[in-house]
Order: sequence, then structure tokens, then C-alpha cells
Amino acid sequence: MKAIATGDATVLCGGTDLTPQTDSGARRYAATLMNIRRVEGLNAILDVGDSIRIGTLTTVAEIRCNPTIRGTAPILADAAEHFASDQIRNAASIGGNLCNASPAGDMSIPLLVLDAAVELSSWDAGAICTRVVPLDAFFLAPGRVVKKPTELLTAVVFSKPAPDFVGHFRKSGPRPALEISTVSIGIGGNFSKGIFRNVRVAMGAVAPTPLRARGVEAALEGQRLDSEAIRAAVTAVGVDVKPINDVRASAWYRNHLARVFTEEVLNHVLGN
Amino acid sequence: MSLETEIHFILNGRAVSARIPVAMKTLALLRDVLGLTGTKYACGEGECGACTIRVDGKTLNSCLMYAVDCEGRDIVTIEGLRTPAGMNPMQQAFVDHGAVQCGFCMPGMILQADWLVENNLRLTRPEAQRGLEGNLCRCTGYTKVLDAIESVVETQCCKQGAPGGELQPAREPLMRATS
Amino acid sequence: MNSKTSPQPIKKTSLIGQSVKKPDAPDKATGKTRYINDMVLPQMLIGKVLFAGRAHAKILSIDISAAQKLPGVHAVMTGRDVSGLKFGFIRDNVALKDRVRCEHDEIAAVAAETEEIANQAIELIKVEYEDLPGVFTPEDGAKEGAPQIHDEFPGNRSLSYEFSHGNVAAAEAASDFVVDNVFRPHRVTHCCMGTSCAIADFDHNGKLTIWTQTQYPYNYKMDLAPALGMAPGDIRVIQPPVGGAFGAKLDVYPYEPIAALLARKTGRPVKVMYSREEEFKASPTRQTAIIHMRTGCKRDGTLTFRTADVLLDNGAYTSWGPTIPVIMMRTTSGHYRVPVVDFRARAIYTNNPYAGSFRGYGNVQTTFATAQQMDMLADLVDITPLEFHLKNAQKSGEVTPQNSFLRECALTECLETAERASHYSRKRREYAAERTRVGRYKKGIGLASSIHNAGGAKIHKSDGIGTILKLDDYARATIITGASEIGQGIDAVVTLIVAEELGIPIEHVTIVNNDSDIAPWDVGVHASRTTFIAGNGARRAAHKARAQIFKGAEKHLGELADSLDLRSGWVVREKCGTPLIKLERLLRQMHFQPEPELVMVTDYYEPKSEPEGSKHVSDHSAAYAHAVHVAEITVDTFTGEIKVDRVTAVQDVGRVINRMGLEGQIEGGVALGLGYALSEDMRVEQGRLRNAGFRDYKLITAPEMPELDLHFIESNCAEGPFGAKGASELPAIVIAPAVANALYNATGVRIFDPPLSPEKVARAIAEQRQQRSAERLDRSRSPAREIENEYCALD
Repeated sequence: MKAIATGDATVLCGGTDLTPQTDSGARRYAATLMNIRRVEGLNAILDVGDSIRIGTLTTVAEIRCNPTIRGTAPILADAAEHFASDQIRNAASIGGNLCNASPAGDMSIPLLVLDAAVELSSWDAGAICTRVVPLDAFFLAPGRVVKKPTELLTAVVFSKPAPDFVGHFRKSGPRPALEISTVSIGIGGNFSKGIFRNVRVAMGAVAPTPLRARGVEAALEGQRLDSEAIRAAVTAVGVDVKPINDVRASAWYRNHLARVFTEEVLNHVLGN
Repeated sequence: MSLETEIHFILNGRAVSARIPVAMKTLALLRDVLGLTGTKYACGEGECGACTIRVDGKTLNSCLMYAVDCEGRDIVTIEGLRTPAGMNPMQQAFVDHGAVQCGFCMPGMILQADWLVENNLRLTRPEAQRGLEGNLCRCTGYTKVLDAIESVVETQCCKQGAPGGELQPAREPLMRATS
Repeated sequence: MNSKTSPQPIKKTSLIGQSVKKPDAPDKATGKTRYINDMVLPQMLIGKVLFAGRAHAKILSIDISAAQKLPGVHAVMTGRDVSGLKFGFIRDNVALKDRVRCEHDEIAAVAAETEEIANQAIELIKVEYEDLPGVFTPEDGAKEGAPQIHDEFPGNRSLSYEFSHGNVAAAEAASDFVVDNVFRPHRVTHCCMGTSCAIADFDHNGKLTIWTQTQYPYNYKMDLAPALGMAPGDIRVIQPPVGGAFGAKLDVYPYEPIAALLARKTGRPVKVMYSREEEFKASPTRQTAIIHMRTGCKRDGTLTFRTADVLLDNGAYTSWGPTIPVIMMRTTSGHYRVPVVDFRARAIYTNNPYAGSFRGYGNVQTTFATAQQMDMLADLVDITPLEFHLKNAQKSGEVTPQNSFLRECALTECLETAERASHYSRKRREYAAERTRVGRYKKGIGLASSIHNAGGAKIHKSDGIGTILKLDDYARATIITGASEIGQGIDAVVTLIVAEELGIPIEHVTIVNNDSDIAPWDVGVHASRTTFIAGNGARRAAHKARAQIFKGAEKHLGELADSLDLRSGWVVREKCGTPLIKLERLLRQMHFQPEPELVMVTDYYEPKSEPEGSKHVSDHSAAYAHAVHVAEITVDTFTGEIKVDRVTAVQDVGRVINRMGLEGQIEGGVALGLGYALSEDMRVEQGRLRNAGFRDYKLITAPEMPELDLHFIESNCAEGPFGAKGASELPAIVIAPAVANALYNATGVRIFDPPLSPEKVARAIAEQRQQRSAERLDRSRSPAREIENEYCALD
């Protein structure tokens, strides 16, 4: 923590984003390259009563296979399942993925649906201080997050979803998994007696940062989930998303896919 | 970054040490410092899998891994798969089934295939396909790679299941050629 | 011979059609093989290139002083060092440029002790550019007043081609249906897993040794020499194992003379190797084309004419790309029986990346058009689609308008086999009937065929190969052949043929084919020629060896030479198989007796084909082959994703030699073609490549491969080795239009500009739905029924 307190350190764990970025010159090293992969206590998935705490060094592979996650928050295991390749999953840390702040942010999407927050720790006046930032306030711009250079992301936490919570994740791409998403979406909420409450809708690669689609949420909140509500939600997608044209897809297609996936996932929720 | 550091680790079953620049990647450590050129550079950004190695039993892209992170760990490269009898079963299967053409991607492919089968002795062909999504090949279309993996699974399955050790006939392969 | 026991007769067995292991596979599977990319020579320096990074510019100044001063740098070179040393097909290229014509123009090169120092030196080179307006389409390049890319080629015109047969106007008048479309086959690249690499070293006599990935080691000397101002004979070409080639290495590209220039300047070996990003940007691509094609037929299904008007983006320099019309016209005139043909093509310089040759060479592009037009006409004529294909399928003995003589033609058999194996006709009808039914997923089936050279292509003065064969005192054979191994498995085929003919185990045959000082000439690995040509060369050499052996048996054993055979390491009586003497014993007798002789033979094989000729009327290959693919797909009409479920691939291979190797080539070809059809796409904008990496340039991965059902038709080509024909390009050629036809079958949407990416398919379906919805509105004059998904509206 003291090393980070200088504010001049590049943090390294799996290197799955850092290496391509520094090798291509897109990112320069700070004065200190700090490998935190072996720091104790940062790689556990803990069931702490009514919440789950995932240490920053937990790999995507570990999240994919973890029985606690699969049991209580399968939407997160789903996203891990479709994340890159085995070789990347075995190395990529959840903390690294979040701090990389890609607009696609595959792991951010289910965490936003779970109302997750991140713990940011720093060294201040001889002690470790920690603040908690909700994930939907964490991303500022592509590659930029609210975490200060003097802080280390140490954990992701979220409350265990209630028994009636239903959440699903869907992403796209010509390659089934090894794809920096053309579009990804996650939808979750409490679904009981046909009514969908506390709806969370998150989308990747349709805005500069992973997006909470508030308009879509509003269209669904407290409503009976039927074809009319789904139609309203799909229409709201077009208002929420601000996709760009880039080498991977056009804005039109991202918009189109976001709507297709929203309907698909909502039908999946209904089917449950 | 011109600083150097010394690292100690297990490589293919033997203890080794090396003095390396801190920003060096494991791929460069293996190829340029330790002379083990079986692990290949083909993209340097974790997309193609040609640099796949095993680290503490798990497969990783060595081009993304910092060499300092080898410290104290157990690294296996393609050169480490040899058994006293020669090739390991996966390597032999790749040769026997014609899975090797130009061969450049094969070290990474074989290491990943080995890991998949070790993790799942009942690996199906679709699961094997999914498991190879991080290994690109331009020559083979993956078909005979999958045939080779299927044959290893069948052999291992039979070893586990049948008391007499008799190999059961292969199930209908997905692809057949007729003349 | 032991007279106590009567010798067991040895029956004739054959390796032909068996599966044999590739000789180099064990070393490759164990990581032992040293590819060119792995090579390190003593005192070797690392060479790096400074690329322009802009599409069209004057170079005002280059300051290399800071780079030269960097410790560890041994040489910095620029265009000044190579002025006048032009090379290339039409001598329009030079190793280091004095002017920028495309993004990857090589401006300077550095040789240094480590890669890190070389990269630092590159950063220290200061270049002052004056950007010029660029030309990024051939249409723009051809316009009056367009910026001139090369002073010696006014109007930006490089190559042009023409072929014509019969009266198009009359044929059109006699047609009941004419389809007329513009196809835009797109820009893709080879993506060899081993990136471009060359190592050069001069000796003290000024002779160059170059370790290279070349596929044509002999004519390569002729093409490399002018870039260095040397005599071709002073160049030795060594070919280490390579990580793929696929046609990318059939020309000299600047990084090779750059390695040599740096080696000559520094007096040390120099290795130049591309990073993957450099590989994407700077290696040659497949040739793009704009093909305006028209095909006509009568209502009874008889094809009447086919025309193609082709515009090629030459890119900044001329490599093999703009020569593809030589093959494009063969497809235009020879894909099915077409009585009247007109073909014209011209290439126009632009500031885009330039093209080389690539597996399928012009036929990939053309068949994408011809096979779709056949599919379109099939729905218009009075007969069934299959009958339409069969009616126009040539038969053995026919000659095309360009005089391609289809001595053994199995197109009919291929079509019938494909139909039987895939139930194409029934499924095509069923899926077409489902097209307008509401539903997200639609199934489709598509058929495509093509014709390709299968016995070389005589575009050079010789299409031949030299072979040397020797046997040692232990009956181990060494075959020294000009045919290069690039991963395609010619090593297995050639050693198999030698083992077959000499009756020895295949493990006792060594192949040497990677050093131009040792192996004799071959024109190169291209045009699906190698099994045919090198196989014939090996067979002929082996026959000469047999003749010498049998004469030796006559001399030493008193047996009649023409009554003998070689089996399982023995000389035997042919009729009954009675073993007479172990081959190795006979060889030792021949060697160590008075009038000693070694069995050493040579052969030069020139296939019986005609030179291409400027009129393009010639039987330019010693054989031709057909393939038919049937692709079954499922289309997600919401996302536009195409999943290829199953491919039935039928091909006339003449005769199967190494079954496993042949299957591997077909499977790999299908994967290559699927990438072309579905996901690969070089996004070049204003001359700059936007997706220079595997993240955004999508190769087909394992989970995307369909089930493959392969069928080999053995037409027994009289001229081919054991009847075999060349095979490796056809699978890459035929699969893409089969998928395009399947897309149409499933959805009614046709795409003329590949790839059939999810976005393109989704857009096309959305447009189609809008159109149908508008038509319904017009027709019924009442509120349109709900279209099934409201988010198909285009912005």
C-alpha cells in the first residue's frame, strides 16, 4: 500500500490487458511496476453473511467455477463463461478487468446488475483506509475510473440476491467467446407473480462506459412482464444507448443488437 | 525499464534460475534467455494461443505473463511433455491422426488439449471445440486436432472404465471420408 | 538364400490411398522443429523497418544521425542506399523508398544487436513528409487528373487482360434469362501463424545465403538479385521449416532485400522478422476485385454466355495480385459449359496495400460470382436446380473455349454424389418454402462448384521439376526434390511414392528439398501443382532407380530384369512374389563388386501442358479438377449470425495418395474459405489498415467449424502420379459461394460483397422486411400486419 501511496505505480496482476497496452505503446509504465498477484488475502471469494466479497485478484476462471457464485449469482458465472478463452480466464483478474474500464467490460455488466460496489484502499497517515464506490459510479470514460493513482481496488462486493432474483447475460460476436463484445447486456431483478421489480439493466459496448440503461429499467420497473412491457423496454433501449461506429460494428448494428438481446433476455426471464 | 532481477522456478521438472529485465515477458524468457523455442510468438497479445504454457497446472498465454511472475512456480512447456517412452499420448495422437501440418500452432494447441482432457476425462467434441477457442490454426481447420483429442479421451475413458483395459470401438466420428 | 526353407512369397501391397504420418510431425509435436522464426545465428543482428504510416507523401528529408549514434546500432539505411535497384513483376518496387505510396512503405531500416535497440533506433529516425492527396479506389485512380502513383505508369494503369470467344450480343439475344450483378470480393490476408522472417548472410566472396520462407526458391533468386544489384547465381536459398505460406511467399517482398542489404553493409548475419501488427499491415493481401458479371441461359437450362468486366485495385506496387485475371478468365470460360465468353480486366494503381497470390488465386473471387449466378438462374429455368447444374456440366473429353482439355472430368459425379449425400434438392425446396414463415431461425442449404488447375499452370517457360534419387548400401533412399514443404504435406506424398515404388518402408526414405545449392529446380509451390508435378518427378526417378536395380539383378543373379518387382525390402519375382535377395544386399553387391555402381538417378519432368500464351487459348495445365460443396446453415435472422452446421465436400482428386494428408488439406481449405465467407475482413480506410490484429480480424476458430462430410472421387487422371490430381485450392474456392447460396435459400437475401458478416446479414434482412412491409401496405391499402420484430427499422 505504501508503494501505491506515491501515486506513481502501475499495478499488475495477470497482465492480460496491461501487456498489449504497454507493448503497443498505448500505455506507458509509471515509475514502479507493482505485481500484486501474490499479495495475500486478495484472491478469495467469500460468503460474508448477506453479501459476497470477491477479492481483486480472483481470476475470471475462478469466478466461472466457484460454487458460491454459481449458486447465488449465476449471471456472473455466465459472463465468466463467455469471457475470452481459457488461457485468458486463467490469468485475468476481476480487479484488472474493472480498472481497465473498457466500454465492453464483460465482467462489469453482471456486476452492475447485481448492484455491486468496489472497495478502494489507500495508505493514509500510517493506516489503510478504504472507501466503497458503487460500480455504476466507478467508470468515467474508456480506460478511466474514479480510483485515484494512490488507491488499490481490493475487492468487489454485492449483496446476495433474494431467492426471487432472476438475472441473465447475453453477448454477441462472430467468435463465440473470444470477442471483445460487439454488444453485451445483463438484465436482472426480483421476479415474482409475474411482476418485475428492482430491475437492473446493464449494457456493454453501446456507450463510452458500461451503461446502466435507466430508461429500460423505468419501462420495466414494477410492471407485469408481458409482451407489452417487453415492447416498451425494447423501445426504451433506443433512447438509452449511445453506440459509436468503429471497426467492430456500426452504431446501427449495436443499437439493433441491444434491442434484440433485450427482448431475448426478457423472454428468458419470463420463461423462468 | 532497464532494471534486472533474478528469478527461480521449476521448468519442465527442473529447478532453474535466470537474471532478466523486470518488464520481460515469460515468452521472451523461454525463447530468448532459456533457448526453448517450442513455445511460439504469433501475436503477442493473447489472441492466438501459440504461446500457451502451463503454469501451476493451468494454461496461460506466456506472451501476457511477466517473467517475474514465474518466481516459485511450476512451468511446463511443450519441451516438457516428453515421457521416457517418447511423446506423451496427446502428442502421439496428434501425429497419428494427421493433426500437424505446418505445425507452428501445435505446441500451444497440444498443451491446451492436454489440459482440457486432464480437467474432464469425459470431454465431448463440442466441449473440446469450445476449449480450443483461444488457439488459432490456419492450416488444419481443427478437424484432426479434435479427432486426436477424441482418441485420447476414449483411451483414457476406457482405461478408467473397463477393468480389462480393452479399448472400445470408437463412436462414429463426425467426419468421414469415402472414396 | 537359405535353401532349407522354401521362401514365403511376398504379396504386392500398396501405400497408395493409405494414411501415412507426416515425416516432420513428431518434431513439430514435441517443439523440436526450429522454424525460421526460431533461428539464431552466431553474431546475428536484428533488423527492423521504419514504415511510412501514411498513404501518399513526398519524403522531404530523413535524418538518421541520432539512430546511427545509438550504441548497439550497426547500420541505418534509407532509399539513398538502393536508388536504381528496382525489382518486382514490372519493376515498380524498390527495397527502401524515396517516396511514399502506401502505408507500409519501407522508409528506413536498422540493424542492431538486440530487438530493443533496433526499435529504439527506429524511433530516433526523423522523417519529414509532405502529404499528397491519396487515391483509394481503382475508380478514383482511373479518373482524369487523379494523383499519379508511379511516373512510369500514366493514368495509374498497370496490367490488363482480355479474352473473348463468340458473339455475346447474339448469345444474349438467344437467351431467355440473363442475370447481371456486381460482386465485390474483399480484402483478406494470409495470417500465416509464423510471421514474415528472413535471415541474410554474405560470405567473403560476396555470395549471399538467405534463409527465407519462399515458396519458389529458384525463380526467387532471379527476382531478388536486381533488388541487390547481384547476379542470381550468387544467391543460395535455404528454406527452414515455416509456419505457413498459402501463397504469401511467391514473390520477393521488401523485407527480404532489406535483410540482405543490412547484412552486406554490416558484414554480419541479419534477421528481419515482423511483429503480428507489421504482418497485417505490410504483407501482401488477397487481390480485391469489382466483378461485373452477366450470365445467360435458355429456359431449358442451357447456358448461352458469360461475361465479366473486372476492375482491380492494384495497390501501390505490382506483385501477383493483378495477374489473377489469368485464372479468373479460366473460371469465366470454364465453369460449366459456356459457349460464348467475354472477359476483360484492368488493374489500377492506388495508395492501398497491395496484393500477392493467395490460395485460390482469382478463382475464389470469380467463383463467388459464377456460382451465385448459377444459383440464381437455377430458380428461373424450367428444370430443377440439380438438373440445371448437370445439364451444363462438362463431360470427359470436352474442351473449354480457352482450350482447357478436360481429359478426365468428374463434375457430374461430384454433383450426383453431393446430392445423394446431402439431400440437397429436397432440402432446398423445403427451406425455401419456410422462408416467409414467421420465425427467428431459418435453415438454408446452398450448393456451389468450381473448376481449377490440378496439374500445374504453365505461366512460366517451364512448369517442371528436377528430382535426384539415391540409394545407399542399406536400401535407404534419399529423394532430393525441388518441391518445397510449406506445411501442405508434400514431404509425406513424395516419400510415400518413393517407398511405394522401391518397396521399402516409408521411414527409410529421406526427403531433401530446402537448399537451392543441393536440390534441383522447381518453379514453385502454387497452382495446386505439387502433388502432381513433384509426385510425377518422384515416380519417374523411382522408375529409373528400379530399372538400374533390376539390371543389377540381371547381372548379379541372372534374373530377367522385366520379371522383377520390389516388395518389403526384397527383390522378388513379380508374378509369384518369390523373394530373391534383400534389396540392400543387392545394392551392396552392385557397389562392392568389380564395375561398382551406386544407384543414383536424376529426372526432369515437364508436364504435357501448353504455355499460357498472350491470347490465353491454351491447355495450360496437365489436368483440371472439380469440387462441389453443399453447405447447410442456420441463420439467426435477428442477429444476422450464420452458423454453418454441415458441409458436404465432394472433390475429384484423381486418386487419393496420402488419405490423411489430403483430408487435412480439404479441411483446412474449408476453414480458410469459411473465414473468407463469414468473418475475415481487412478494414482499410484512406489507405490505413484499422484492424491489424487477431482481435479485430477474425479467423475461424475451432467452435465455428461445421461437421464435414468429405467424398473423394477418383477419376484416375492418366497423366497424374498414380492417377492423382492437385487438390488444395478447390476447397478454399468453393465453400464461400455455397454459404452465400445457402443464405439466399434460408432468407431470400443475397450478398454480393463478402464477408457475410452478422451485421451485413442483419441489415439486408431488415431492408428486405421493410421492403416487404411497404409492398404489403401498398397492396392491401390497410394497416400492415405486425412485422415480427419491430426493431428492424433502419436509422
